Amino acid sequence: MKIIVCIKQVPDTTEVKINPETGTLIRTGVPSILNPYDHFALESALNLKKKHPGFTVDVISMGPPQAKAVVQFALALGADEGILLSDAAFAGSDTWATSYALSMAIKKIGKADMIFCGMQAIDGDTAQVGPGIAQQLGLPQVTFCEHIEVEGKTIIAERHIDGGSETVELRAPALFTMIMPKDHPYAYPSFTQIYSASKKKFSIWNAQDIGAESHYLGLKGSPTQVSKIYPPKKETETQFFNVSAAEAAEKIVEIMKKEGFIK
Amino acid sequence: MPSLDAISRNLMLDSLKAYAKKKITYDYIREKDAANECPLEVLKEMYDTDKLGVHLLMIPAEYGGVSGGTYDIYRICEQLARIDLGIATSVFATFLGTDPLNVGGTEEQKEKWLKKIAKEKLMVAYAATEPDAGSDLVNLKTRAEHVIKNGKLAGYSITGAKQWISNGGIADLYTVLAMAPGGPSWFLVEKNYEGFSPNHHEDKHGIRLSNTSGLSLDNVFVPVENLIGAQEGKGLLQAQAVFGYTRLMVAAFGLGAGWEALENAIRYSQQRIQAGGPLSDKQGYTHKFLVSHAANLEAARSYIEYVANRLDSGEHGLQTEGAIAKYWATESGNKAAEDAIQALGGYGYTRDFPVEKIKRDIKITCIYEGTSEVMEMTIYRGRWQEHLKTRGEFYSAMAKEMESLHALNPNVGADACALSLKALGTVLEECRINKLTRHQYVTFKLGSLIAASEIAWSFCKTAAADKYSETVKFDKKTYETMARVNAKNTALRTAMEGSALVLSAVDDPAGFAEKINLKEIEKKQKGLLADMDFIASSLKSSFKAR
Ligand SMILES: Cc1cc2nc3c(=O)[nH]c(=O)nc-3n(C[C@H](O)[C@H](O)[C@H](O)COP(=O)(O)OP(=O)(O)OC[C@H]3O[C@@H](n4cnc5c(N)ncnc54)[C@H](O)[C@@H]3O)c2cc1C
Repeated sequence: MKIIVCIKQVPDTTEVKINPETGTLIRTGVPSILNPYDHFALESALNLKKKHPGFTVDVISMGPPQAKAVVQFALALGADEGILLSDAAFAGSDTWATSYALSMAIKKIGKADMIFCGMQAIDGDTAQVGPGIAQQLGLPQVTFCEHIEVEGKTIIAERHIDGGSETVELRAPALFTMIMPKDHPYAYPSFTQIYSASKKKFSIWNAQDIGAESHYLGLKGSPTQVSKIYPPKKETETQFFNVSAAEAAEKIVEIMKKEGFIK
Repeated sequence: MPSLDAISRNLMLDSLKAYAKKKITYDYIREKDAANECPLEVLKEMYDTDKLGVHLLMIPAEYGGVSGGTYDIYRICEQLARIDLGIATSVFATFLGTDPLNVGGTEEQKEKWLKKIAKEKLMVAYAATEPDAGSDLVNLKTRAEHVIKNGKLAGYSITGAKQWISNGGIADLYTVLAMAPGGPSWFLVEKNYEGFSPNHHEDKHGIRLSNTSGLSLDNVFVPVENLIGAQEGKGLLQAQAVFGYTRLMVAAFGLGAGWEALENAIRYSQQRIQAGGPLSDKQGYTHKFLVSHAANLEAARSYIEYVANRLDSGEHGLQTEGAIAKYWATESGNKAAEDAIQALGGYGYTRDFPVEKIKRDIKITCIYEGTSEVMEMTIYRGRWQEHLKTRGEFYSAMAKEMESLHALNPNVGADACALSLKALGTVLEECRINKLTRHQYVTFKLGSLIAASEIAWSFCKTAAADKYSETVKFDKKTYETMARVNAKNTALRTAMEGSALVLSAVDDPAGFAEKINLKEIEKKQKGLLADMDFIASSLKSSFKAR
């Protein structure tokens, strides 16, 4: 089977701060990493490749030229081929436009059986791009996967649901989004793997290469636009009412009405 | 060898950091340090090509390595030193031991041994020093006698003793320097050769995780094909040829361990409240323990990168430059670590905090691969020749370069640096006229002053560049201010210490002060305190308390 993993370079959010005056992220000096959810998705794909001779894993990322680093990292971990979608026309794309561009690139690669995405990127936390790609490509999708197996033509995906897990069986082609297990010991490549990665096939594609229509890309192709980013003000105030349950229910309704949450 | 692409290099650094974070915790290091134990299992994993394979950096790709360049090796050495200087030394010993092969080996020897080192994860040791031959290797006593079989030279019989050999007790392969009939030569000795045995592991002040042992060689038979380069008498030249390069690695150790100690102190200073506020807000503290060390270490980095880039672009030798880099970086790192203990007060003196260990470890960088005094000697010799050869033009040309730089960028202290370089040239000339270099003390001091001015020259250029290297963690203003502070300090130091040398011989002190432009140098000190204040606040925001 041919697996394509979508990966993103993100700032290490444990070190990101927001400039309170401008509301923008302070990125200088903050290291960039492979989105941890994507890292797990990639490892899952590579595990399948190890188990099933003949499986291939390609990675694709959309981002500025420096995002090549995460593609090369994925190649070092064992991916076969890397593609970076990089073009000024992509800048400012929201989740819809990003899904569009990625789906066009996946079409261009062609013949993908499985597409893996991280559940979400830690810098945006939207969890929309994976499902967006599935929608654009008209593929079935299984979200929040913890584990994926392939037996013959059947793909068995275990997905995380509240209070347990659900097993889904389906046929290729399909798209999967992967969660990030707690305390997972992430793999890192050896020096030899890193060296060989620099010799693997790597391409940069622009909007024209993937046949994307420019009015669907970038800021102008994005139905959502971020007007402001700010750290939430933590101004909570706790009131205590020492009353019975029935009285408490009434009190809650009263407060909610007063604050305008219900009418 | 040109360096790797930046992405590959940084991925290697990331892998090394990820490994260390998991396996080489401070508790682990502390335990091994107390037990005076070399962490063999960690070293084995670091050499395991499926896990990490750090030793491959020194080996060209055609022999199974990854063809690291000098710049790559400097970055990895710096990172290793931040992790543990003992482990770093063990890896370094393999680099060093592989070097005579890389530089002087025949094609067959490289094919055989480099491939073997890469594939079989061999730990290598470099055995030059002897009980009676340290700084002065010419005094070498280990002998390699011809062994003739069937009328043909079959090999050598080596007898002697080696001292202080890193990896001495744990290596698989040794490159041993011995006196052959044709002169000093390097031989490859495998650990199982008959008559060869390592002595006990030394009980050292620092780098206690690094195995250091003496070696005994008693009529050890070494086949003729193990003579590196297949020619006798090339040993010292082969050793010399790589000094520019190997000393840069030790410079990177001083830089890495020094910054590690300094960062500890910067972070600590923000948490420790004394007299109503954090120590990081107390100028007497920050300017004494933090500011100038940060500037000195960044100056060292600038020069290390300058030399690394020159070596990677194909230049050879650069012995004087390698010596300047090692001398400045290791002395600066050592001082920074010393002050880091003081900056942590009583806590710094305990083993609960890493600075105590870093201080013990880093001292070795001022001793091995040539002591600081040998560096002063080497620097002096190299540049004295230049001074004589160019009739003083050497430093006036550098000064002119700094004057032009100052016209382009007045923020990096290139004006002060120009004065320092001119004063240096004047001091050298005055030493020549008064025959002061008959005094060894004067030559060492000159070596030291030369290093300081050339480091300042490099830092000014780096700070004025449009684009900084991937290693610079500071914004332009901070970086420029550091270069400026360094240049101001250096100019004053050249004037003061240079005068101290020359005034012992001249009759007209006032005239000499004029010759070195003392007044101008003094004027350049204006604004120094404000600059230091600014660096102190930048350090605080760059290395926040954890
Ligand atoms: C932990 C450790 C690891 C080492 N690893 C290795 C290794 O792997 N391989 C290897 O070959 N060697 C190794 N060495 C040896 C090291 O390189 C030497 O110790 C060093 O070169 C200094 O030599 P020495 O100890 O004989 O000191 P000496 O040369 O005796 O120097 C003693 C002092 O005198 C000064 N001095 C020396 N000569 C002069 C002079 N002409 N004029 C004025 N002052 C002078 C020195 O600067 C020093 O301060 C190691 C040493 C140690 C401690």
